[in-house]
Order: sequence, then C-alpha cells, then structure tokens
Amino acid sequence: MSAVAVPLEHVLFVAAVLFLIGFVGVLVRRNVIFLLMSLEIMMNACGLAFVAAGARWGQPDGQIMFMLILALAAAEVAVALALVLQLERRFSSLDIDTASELNG
Amino acid sequence: MDLLWLVPTLPLAGFLVLLVAGLFVSEDRPRKWFCGIVGAGSIGLSALVALMVGMDYYAAGAEPTSYFLWTWMEVGGFTPGIRLYLDGLSLVMTGVITGVGFLIHLYATGYMWDEEGYSRFFAYMNLFVFAMLMLVLGDNLLVLFLGWEGVGLCSYLLIGFFHKEPENGYAARKAFVVTRVGDTAMLLGLFLLFREVGSIEVQAAMAGARELWPDGSTTVTIIALLLLGGAVGKSAQVPLQTWLPDAMAGPTPVSALIHAATMVTAGVYLIARTHDLFLLSTTAQFAVAAVGLVTLFISSFTALAQRDIKRVLAYSTMSQIGYMFLALGVGAWSAAIFHLMTHAFFKALLFLASGSVILALHHEQDMFRMGGLWKKLPIPFASMLIGSIALAALPFTSGFYSKDAIVLASFEYSSVFWAGAATAAFMTALYTTRMMVLTFFGETRTEPHDHSRINMWGPLLVLAVLAVGGGWYGLDAVSSVLPDGGIGEQDHFSAVAILTMGAPLLGIVLGYLIFYGRQPSSEGAPLAGERRLDRLVQSPAGNAIRRFWFGGWGFDVLYDRVFVGPFVWFARLNKRDGVDFVYTAAAGITRGFHHLVALTQSGHLRWYAANMALGLLAAFAIVLVALS
Repeated sequence: MSAVAVPLEHVLFVAAVLFLIGFVGVLVRRNVIFLLMSLEIMMNACGLAFVAAGARWGQPDGQIMFMLILALAAAEVAVALALVLQLERRFSSLDIDTASELNG
Repeated sequence: MDLLWLVPTLPLAGFLVLLVAGLFVSEDRPRKWFCGIVGAGSIGLSALVALMVGMDYYAAGAEPTSYFLWTWMEVGGFTPGIRLYLDGLSLVMTGVITGVGFLIHLYATGYMWDEEGYSRFFAYMNLFVFAMLMLVLGDNLLVLFLGWEGVGLCSYLLIGFFHKEPENGYAARKAFVVTRVGDTAMLLGLFLLFREVGSIEVQAAMAGARELWPDGSTTVTIIALLLLGGAVGKSAQVPLQTWLPDAMAGPTPVSALIHAATMVTAGVYLIARTHDLFLLSTTAQFAVAAVGLVTLFISSFTALAQRDIKRVLAYSTMSQIGYMFLALGVGAWSAAIFHLMTHAFFKALLFLASGSVILALHHEQDMFRMGGLWKKLPIPFASMLIGSIALAALPFTSGFYSKDAIVLASFEYSSVFWAGAATAAFMTALYTTRMMVLTFFGETRTEPHDHSRINMWGPLLVLAVLAVGGGWYGLDAVSSVLPDGGIGEQDHFSAVAILTMGAPLLGIVLGYLIFYGRQPSSEGAPLAGERRLDRLVQSPAGNAIRRFWFGGWGFDVLYDRVFVGPFVWFARLNKRDGVDFVYTAAAGITRGFHHLVALTQSGHLRWYAANMALGLLAAFAIVLVALS
C-alpha cells in the first residue's frame, strides 16, 4: 500500500470544499430535490473525511463509518422521497418555502 | 319547664318546611293553604309557647334565667355559647314579636293570596321572626349580632320581594347598605368592648364595664357611641334614616312587621340591653336623646308633606322611634320599652289597615287618589281611626300612656327637649289627621273593592283592642331590668302635663280645620282653596318648604351628592382596577417576550439550517478563542 500517498490535508480540504458546496446548496436551493441532492453531497463529504482519516491511521473504522453513512443515505432517500411526494400533492409545488406553516 | 328553646325553633322549622315546599313550583290552592298554615301556624305556636314560658317565668318568681343550649365554638379561651336569656325585657320583646308577628302573618295569608311567591314570602317572614327572636333572646352579644344581621338580611329580601320592579331591588340594596354603615360601627363597638372587658356575655360584659370604669371614661363613651351607631342604622334615625321610606317598596305586612313593629325597634332594644354602658357616659346618653329629638322633629314634618300613605306611616314610625330614643336618652328606659310595645300595636294596626285600603283600591298608595272611603271600607276605617288616635296619643289610648311618660320625662331632663317632643306630638296629630281626612273623607276618587275575609279583619280587630287597651296596665315586666325601676306615676294635672296632653288635641283640631272638606289640587299641593292659609301654602315659599319636606329634608340628595356620586365616579375611574395593573403588566411583559422569540420560528427550513450553521460557527469561534 505504498503507492502515491495523497497527503491527508489535501483530502480533508476537498472534503471541506464538498461539504461547503453541499451546505450552500441546502441554503440557496428551494427545490426539494436539489436540497436532497445537496444533503447527499454533504454526507459524501463526511464519508470522504472518514475514509481518509481511516487510511491515515491504518484502521478500518473509517470505512465502516462510510458503510453506515451509505445505509443512512439510503434510508434518508426512502423517507425523503415519500415526503417529496406528499409535498407535491399538498402544495402542488416542490418549493420548500411553501411548507412553512409550522411557525410561531 | 324549659320550653324557651321552642320559641325561636318553631319559626326556624317553619322556614325550613316552607323552603322545601317552595321547591315544588306549582302555585295551586292546596299548596297555598299549606304554606299559609305552616307560615302563620309556626308563629302562632311560637306565641303560645312564649305565653306559657312567660307564665312559668312569673310563677317561678320572675328571676332572670339563662338557658344554655350548646357551645357555638371553641377558639382558644373564647367559647361563646348559644344561650337564651329570659328576663322582663326579653320577655316583653318576645311577646311583641311572636304576638304581633302572628297577627301580621295571619293577615298576610289573605293579603298575599294573589301574589306570586306565596311560599317564598312566608319562608322569609318565618326566618325573620327566628332571627329577631335570636336577637332579643341571645345572652351573648355574638348571638345578638347574629340575629341583628339575620333580620337585616330578611329585611333586604322582603323589601325586594316584588323583585320584578328594579326600583324595589334598589330600595332593598339601599336599606341593606345604609344599615350596614351602622352595623360596621356596632361591630367595632363590640370588638372594643370585648378587648376591654374580655367578655361578650351580656351580663358579664355589663358587670365588667361597671367595674372597669366606675366613673366613666373616654373608652366607654366610644363603645357606647359605636353601639349607638348600630342602633341608629337599624332603627332609621338621623343620620342613617334615609332607607326606611324606600323600604316601603316591600309588601305591606312586611312594612307592618319589620319596618314598624319589630326590626326597626331593635336599636331601642340594643340600647336598653346595654344600658349600663350608656349610664356610664353622659355624653353617649345625651347623644341618644339628641338623635331621637332630631329624628322625631325632622320626620314628623316630613310626614306632613307625603302623598304615599305608606310613606306617611314610615316617617311616622321614624318619629315614634325617635320618641323611644329620646326616652332612652333622658333616662326613661321603661317608658321607651313601653312605647316600643304600644307602638308595635298601633303602628302594626295602621299598616295593616292601610294595607286593606291599598288592596281594596288595587294597589293604589297615593292618598290624593283616595278619599271618601269611610262608608265603603268600614273595618279598615275603624281600625285606622283607632290606630290614628293611639298614634296621636289621645287620652286613654295606649299611645297616650307611653308617649306621655316620655314627654314628661323629657321635661325633667330639659325643657328644650320637652318643647321639641311636645311640638312633634302636635305635628304627629296634624299629619295623622291629614292622612285620615285625605284617605277616608271628601269625595271618592277611586272605587274600592273589598274582598277581605276573617283572616284579614280578625287581626285588625285584635290589634285595635290592643292599640286602645295595650297601655292601661303599664309595663311592670321591665322594671326589674332597667335602671329607672319602671314607669313612675305621672301627675296628669300639672301645667306641663296638661300642655303635653293638649298638643295632640290642638293638632287634630287644626288638622281638621286645614284639611277637612277640601280636595288636594292636582299638581300635588295638599290643598287648593281661597282662604288665607291656602294662599300661604300655595305661595312660592310654601311650595319650596313643601318640596323640602316631601324630599325628607334633602337627606337623600345630600347623600347622593356626598357619598353615592363620588363613589360611582371613582368606581367608573377605577373600572380597569388599578391594583390589577401589576398583574396584567406581568402577563403583558411575558407575552411580549413570547412574541419576540416566536419570530425566530418562521417555519422556513433553510432559515433553521443557516442558524444552525451560524451557531456552530459561533461555538467553534468560542472554542478557538478559548484555546488560543
């Protein structure tokens, strides 16, 4: 495993950039589908950081965490798509801001 | 034979039975019979028992006795008992309450027959008799006060008996509030007495007071004046007299029982019962006499200008109680109680007779619409005539003996008081004559329909006999209780006595000359004619005086301006309740913060996410700053 070693800092930088992109996506996009996709990017950014960290310390925990994140993402998509359908049905729109009735 | 407890218990039982009977709402004949029998019967039985108790009392040597029933409460060392105390004074009062009370109840079975709320009426009346008996029989100022407030409550309930008219409710509230002013003073007096003497058992408290202040003191004067305040309120004396004329809104038997014969004389009873306190303070005793004199003066002039027959009698009641207060003040204690008794007879008679007239005229109370009734209503006329001559104190009637004793006793006290009392006796005769002439003579202005049966004219007959003969035998019963040792023998042939006797005769003659044979003018002046006197009455000054008297010397207006007006104004001002402001402010501030914080909960998911990120950043920043 002594191929070209990518320095950890680089990988973490990429992960941070990915996470930020995802987060900005969550903040600026109003379409629920895009919102979900942004979330997915954020999760993958986390996964990347885990895997890189695991590789850095030579331990499998990072990859195991990534497996868990994958499972989480799958479950999230299952629930979220159902919610998206409901949103479309109730408001005839995919704009997340229309579903803001639970306010003080 | 200790049957005394039955005397107040029977009316109480009657009240409870009628209360239950009142739950079954139908107003049919059998039920009315039942209510009448229970209502009047319980008082009748009570009167019989009182008679037996009285005979036993004399058979046992007329020794004052106290009957212990049970301990009311035990608080620390304070254990007021429910005790009944029987002596000459309470016996006389019990006799008047149950005896006259029974006759009035009997009369009321006929008078109230066509009214709604027959059982309610008798329930209240029985409760009243119970409370009044507790008042006079209580051996304890606390029990006395219980009865005192009980009669006040019943008075309120019965004045407002015809509750569908708002004015009657107003009159009832007025009576309650005005007497409450006096009651507060009385309660303070009782507190003070208890603090100083340490007992509220009447006999022990009186003995304690005599021991504590053998030469009188400011404290005893204050106590006596506070008790006088209570008496003034209950007995409708100046300055708390304004409620009594309005109390005539109640049914006429109520006026006869409560506002003539019994409750309004409770103040006289109170002062007679606590006479030791008043003997210890010449100031307080003078105040009693002064209150009596002022009241009897003011009210007898007021009675002269009234149109409503019941208001004439109400003002007359005030003035007769003024005589009693005068008697108490000048030290003629027995004469005061004697007059209380004879007044109960003849004033109850007058009220019941006027009730018969009012009923026969379909609830017409304006004397200017009566007239010429003497042939058509012979029994009410005869009763009213007998009551009137007793009220005016013509010789050989009951009122003569008692009033003469008072007026002559006031001469021994001060000739000024005598002059006032004699003038008022003259005025009494004058307004009584006016009332009789307007009601029964002249031309008929309203056609009467008399349906009275024996239950109505029977009591009139008995009371008429009592009004004439009730004073012939004097009143020895109270001589052992009251400090003056009974009514002394009067010299009826001294110059003062002849003047005293002549005053009412002069009043009647003058009244006959002024009022007989002339009709009242339509706009309310008492007479319309061409004689010099008529012109005097019709002059602007005469009219002004008449209006002044008609309004009861402006007391109502004065109190409206001084007390009611500012109170209502302040109540309006304080509609939102200044004290409440503190609490509403606290609630308002909380609510404001709530709204402020609720703004952050917009429902926008992206807003929450942004905030989370900001929060996270802030947390990181703090940690970084803390670490470096």
